[in-house]
Amino acid sequence: MSIGFWEVLALLVLVGTGLAVVRLQNAVHAALALIANFLVVAGVYVALEARFVAMIQIIVYAGAIVVLFLFVIMLLSAANANVGQDLLPRLPWVAALGALGLAGVLIYAVTRFQPPANAPALGGGLPQALGPLLYDPEKWLYALLVVGFLLLVATVAAVVLIEPERIIAATSHPAHPRQDQKPSPSTGQQKDERAVVKP
Amino acid sequence: MIWLVASALLFSIGAYGALTRRTAILMFLSIELMLNAAALSLVSFSKLTGSLEAQVVVLFIIAIAAAEVAVGLGLIVAIFRRRETTGVDELRQLRG
Repeated sequence: MSIGFWEVLALLVLVGTGLAVVRLQNAVHAALALIANFLVVAGVYVALEARFVAMIQIIVYAGAIVVLFLFVIMLLSAANANVGQDLLPRLPWVAALGALGLAGVLIYAVTRFQPPANAPALGGGLPQALGPLLYDPEKWLYALLVVGFLLLVATVAAVVLIEPERIIAATSHPAHPRQDQKPSPSTGQQKDERAVVKP
Repeated sequence: MIWLVASALLFSIGAYGALTRRTAILMFLSIELMLNAAALSLVSFSKLTGSLEAQVVVLFIIAIAAAEVAVGLGLIVAIFRRRETTGVDELRQLRG
């Protein structure tokens, strides 16, 4: 694989946006840098004959996951990265040394990899090539079904996590509906209940 | 081969961020960077060895990352409702 201008440019942009993700002090900017990183990775996927994975990368990662992150950052007003007091002010230096060591070990490992001389072509990584593997019962079909079920369970779990008290109250005592189930104009009652639950 | 080096660099940068960030959301962002670096290494191995199975595994990684983000962000929102913060330094009630 030859190393040309575009490869070096993409590598520099990848590392630059990665450093922006871990160093920027505004969480919204960090999430936007992560979107840029994911888009460049999708371009790299196209160059590596993985076009379907590149499309999924753009749609799911850059389109859905990071937008969910941005949503939560703005919902919680948690854009400031410096909260509370810094208990370990020297940690960044130690972590930088550790990350450099990790990078050295990983680069040593991957540069020792010897690819086979005549690798078969991938067919561009199009859905026509990936589909028969994904839906083959002897290869990945059951894993695909399990992942689909896992996504369903995770979605239900996310809903249950947000409103645990109300869902438990609604499901455990169906015969005796609690007071807060009725539409009440005052919100002070809910606050009292939450204060009791708080340890 | 250059993309394997790129994925190693991205993984290390993500590990640095996961160690140094002090809010739960930003730690989670760094972990997403590490996941994506692992997927990049799988795709470049797929190109080097001519095996499409690695690309199928990358699809599963992306699906599981979506599930993980749903649950993780739900946890962060639930913690914020109880404690009014997402700073991981203040969430140490389990420390003995």
